[in-house]
Amino acid sequence: MAHVTAADLEDLTARPRLFGRRRAGTTGSRPPRERGDRTRSFVLTLLAVVGLALFLSPMLRSVVYAVKSTDQITQAGTPLWPADPVTFAYQGKELPLLVVPLPDGTIRQLALFEPGRKSSMFVDPAAPDAAPIAWQGSWRTLDQIWQFAPHWENFAKVWDLIDYPRLLFNTLAIAVISTIGTLLSCTLVAYGFARFKFPGRNLLFTLLIATIFLPTAVTIIPTYTIFQKLGWVGTWLPLLIPTFFANAYDVFLMRQYFMTIPTEMDEAAAIDGAGPFRTLISVILPQAWPVVIAVAIFHLVYAWNDFFGPLIYLSSDPDIQTIALGLQRFNGVHYRDPGLIQAGTLMTLIIPVIAFLFTQRFFTRGIVITGVEK
Amino acid sequence: MERTIGRLGVLIAAAGLIFAACGSSTGSPAASAEPSAAASSEASAAASGEASAAPSAITAGSTGQPGDVNIVWFCCLGTGDAPEQVTVEEQVAEAFNQANPGIHLSFQAYPYTGARDALSVQIGSGNGPDIVGPIGIGGANAFHGQWLDLQPLIDKNSFDMSQFPTSTVSLYNVGGEGQVGIPYAVYPSVLFYKASLFKEAGLAEPPHQWNSTYTMPDGTKVPWDYDTVRKIALLLTVDKNGKDATEAGFDPENIVQWGFEPQRDDLRQTGAYWKAGSFVASDGKTVQMPDAWVAAWHYFYDGIWKDRIMVTGPQFLNTDFNPNGYPFFTGKVAMSENYLWSLYGISDAGDDWNMAATPSYQGQTTAAFNADTFRILKGSKHPDEAFKVLTYLLANQDLLKLYGGMPAVESKQDAFLQGLQADYTQTIDWNVAKQGIQFADVPNFESYTPAYNQTLNLINTFGTKWQATPGLDLDKEIADMKTQMQAIWDQGGN
Amino acid sequence: MIAPGAARPRSRPRFSGLAWRRARWGYVFIAPWVIGFLAFTAFPMIATLAFTFSNINLNQAEPLQFVGLRNYQTLASDQRTWDSLAVTLKFAVLALPVGVCLPFVVALLLHSRHLRGSGAFRVLFFLPYVVPFVAGVFVWQGMLSADTGWVNGLLKFLGISHPPDWLQDPTWIYPGLVIMGLWGIGGGMIIYLAGLKGIPSDLYEAAKIDGAGAFATLRHITIPMMSPVIFFTIVLGVVDVLQYFLVPLVLKNGTGEPGGSTNFFNLYLYQNFFTFQNMSYGATLAWLLFAISLVLTLLLFRSARHWVYYAGEAR
Repeated sequence: MAHVTAADLEDLTARPRLFGRRRAGTTGSRPPRERGDRTRSFVLTLLAVVGLALFLSPMLRSVVYAVKSTDQITQAGTPLWPADPVTFAYQGKELPLLVVPLPDGTIRQLALFEPGRKSSMFVDPAAPDAAPIAWQGSWRTLDQIWQFAPHWENFAKVWDLIDYPRLLFNTLAIAVISTIGTLLSCTLVAYGFARFKFPGRNLLFTLLIATIFLPTAVTIIPTYTIFQKLGWVGTWLPLLIPTFFANAYDVFLMRQYFMTIPTEMDEAAAIDGAGPFRTLISVILPQAWPVVIAVAIFHLVYAWNDFFGPLIYLSSDPDIQTIALGLQRFNGVHYRDPGLIQAGTLMTLIIPVIAFLFTQRFFTRGIVITGVEK
Repeated sequence: MERTIGRLGVLIAAAGLIFAACGSSTGSPAASAEPSAAASSEASAAASGEASAAPSAITAGSTGQPGDVNIVWFCCLGTGDAPEQVTVEEQVAEAFNQANPGIHLSFQAYPYTGARDALSVQIGSGNGPDIVGPIGIGGANAFHGQWLDLQPLIDKNSFDMSQFPTSTVSLYNVGGEGQVGIPYAVYPSVLFYKASLFKEAGLAEPPHQWNSTYTMPDGTKVPWDYDTVRKIALLLTVDKNGKDATEAGFDPENIVQWGFEPQRDDLRQTGAYWKAGSFVASDGKTVQMPDAWVAAWHYFYDGIWKDRIMVTGPQFLNTDFNPNGYPFFTGKVAMSENYLWSLYGISDAGDDWNMAATPSYQGQTTAAFNADTFRILKGSKHPDEAFKVLTYLLANQDLLKLYGGMPAVESKQDAFLQGLQADYTQTIDWNVAKQGIQFADVPNFESYTPAYNQTLNLINTFGTKWQATPGLDLDKEIADMKTQMQAIWDQGGN
Repeated sequence: MIAPGAARPRSRPRFSGLAWRRARWGYVFIAPWVIGFLAFTAFPMIATLAFTFSNINLNQAEPLQFVGLRNYQTLASDQRTWDSLAVTLKFAVLALPVGVCLPFVVALLLHSRHLRGSGAFRVLFFLPYVVPFVAGVFVWQGMLSADTGWVNGLLKFLGISHPPDWLQDPTWIYPGLVIMGLWGIGGGMIIYLAGLKGIPSDLYEAAKIDGAGAFATLRHITIPMMSPVIFFTIVLGVVDVLQYFLVPLVLKNGTGEPGGSTNFFNLYLYQNFFTFQNMSYGATLAWLLFAISLVLTLLLFRSARHWVYYAGEAR
């Protein structure tokens, strides 16, 4: 692979002007789409759709299951779509309706009254008072009749059983605060590592990365002890305070990103008398918008789904718990109802998805620093 | 652009601060919240059982007055973590606090899946709870050596141990550790069966009398043992075309009804339903494979892969087919050996199930036994107060009903069983369960072995493998398991 | 007194005033992390290292004491340690390339101006990343089931009569686990997208003027400009794959089925720590993992000099 040197890039990019003048030719309309472009679009989009369909198909299964009844899910040979068996009430019982071919050649829908291995008794819903009809053969080979029946009430049940509003509020609060803490601290630390030379920089950066080499399982006991001595167990603090002191993953990512931003603008700002903070806010951050968004999204999702942290620190008080904990407990109790489990899982997805929908718009925006459009 | 960032940032920060303020305030209720907590707990006790009302009404903790002895009750290494149960448990704790100023009992409910890790972390950091429960024998073995010997406290408080049968008391007097538990809830085993499936197949129902006989379709009377069970299970295993497992053309890939389900949660239990036994030989450190257990495992393995009367491992684990943990609840299994606590999901099996005696082996019947209780950790800083809480919890009838356990106290058992009948439309023969206690496996299969946790891990590995892999040489597998177990024991550790 | 015109004194300060000021600012900015490290991270790390030299376990049957290198000796002779490392390695060989490249491909696809409705695609490809981990495992477990799973259903439909038993076959379990991890590509995808957004468009225009085709552009512009982000993904990918254990724990309940092929190193570590409650040995395994991770990361950093291009290296 050929190396792209700084010199090459300097040739390719015109030196950016500061504060005011746009470069000619970079804005403006796209060239008109050519024929080749259209086919390319079509093929690419098709590929994307197929890939997406395969990728998301298990979700479809989840969605469908969320509105099925438990009986349907546990029984083999039922329709793919949410359905309930059509039944007929007879002598206080609900009898399933089957499609029965009778000896006289007709095919009738009859209710199974007394199943037997070699012969069974049926009742005709159209004539319930008549004597039950005996039928020779194995009833298991007959088709059952179903009706479309999505069980929307699964969602309502989950809402009640899981104390959704409180858990939602708790999780939202924790996720938002810790994301803010992460963004604030990681930006500062990454900026320090990316833009400043100081003795011991490489050693400290290696140490930073080394902090993720030890699995949490091992460090949890001493960490828990620290928080316990501080009296923070049973509050949100162990989950929130450390985020204001940066974490290795996000610092590493942001540092990498910051280092892709050329230093010319920094120098120009310095010449104009801007201090390091000003440079960070006016020069670096506007160009680093995508990575800031990325870190925000990651941390939001991570905090949303974090189970182990809340388990260890929040379990003593149900009022401060998060959705992950609530859902786990719910699953442990209600695993008899796979439909409810799926509904519960879907309901916990909603907020992060909305958050993503909201923030991903920023990915469509170009990065505009005064002067150069990327 | 920068201005907007600035404003947005300030807005977010402000919102964050507000959230933080709200968040921390819910975490530290003031002492003045106590009276209102008591009032609300009564109110929700009246609104019985609606989980939606309860959680926000009950604040988990009035923190108690300074100077109070703090006792922590850690749940749930067994049952007890369902929201409906948590509500009642908190009420029970509150009631204790009202009646006992000077002691503050706080209840902590951890979901079952994380409870063990959480307890390890707490103990490891020196911040362990005082009371743990409800917990079974096996669950407690995971923390072997950390339970307080209660005998001194029993003597000091003149606690009446004679109300329990001596066999259940000795369950908790494991070699060398003293009396680490007081009997509380017992779960004998029975054979659950679905009457309608027997009727459909034209078979007589299993006997309700223990150690008795069974009438085959042709009229002959045979002993009710595992051979008989196998024979009728074959007739009760049906494919989608209605053929049973004895018929030509039976399609094992499309079975829709199974004849028999053993207790397969771990290999020791499966064996214990044949005969009581232990991996530990009399010298305390050599591994033995009890003959009856080996027979049970062969029956189990052949039952899955040869006779096809039992569901396979993957089917058992398939949460779509078997969401409730036990295939009997799907209504597609004719007979299933299980403990009384499986009543939690039994209604899913339909309204035609009943209890029968478990089969005998070589003329003798054994019905494996589970028992739950509350225990005190050795590291408890206030054992006297903890014992007071313990006796209170043991005597609380609401809790017992909540956990579905039969009282260990013999005189209370009939009333308990009558109480259960109210939940079911068909008349269950509860006497089967009561009689089942006599057939408990002694020594209990959950008794301690060296390197308990590692041993359990090992047998689970083998058990999972056997349930998922046909065509194994089972005797060789058992020999392998024995060798590996001995190696683990020799190495020492937990 | 220095005579005018004489040579400057040799002992110049190493840092000029400006450089020293820059360095000070550097320390100021990284201060939050340093403080947090000292407060929350340093003690646990040192404590666990201390564990390795002791006989600490949850049930402390024998008195707590210093045992020197005993745990390390056990480590060297413990076959299970090395077997589990082999398992992790086998998985890494498959999982790492997929984890680094696939999100990149998807990001390229989503970034392409030829894709219609890329906003919707972005959301939909990211969506599964949000699904709680355990729920995702169960969903895919169902999908990969040998007889009732949709994956094999699709394969059968496409004509493959005996599709692999993804979860029970010791050879196919690794691809099966990789498939289960596919829902996590949303994360890497976002990072790569952020990186792609940062590439100045005039580079592409210049390349086009020079007559470069799609592949050449990729090779000479996109990848080099993305190399810092790619580097990040690789380093983190290595560290994560070494610590991979949650999926086999949830899926197989820690039994290592089928046939020991899911006995990952970190699973063994977790078991030692929490199931067997042998904290001292668990800590020893952890520090072995630390050493391996450190060596690999340092190697990667050294290699970075040759292929990672930073436009804004600190001056």
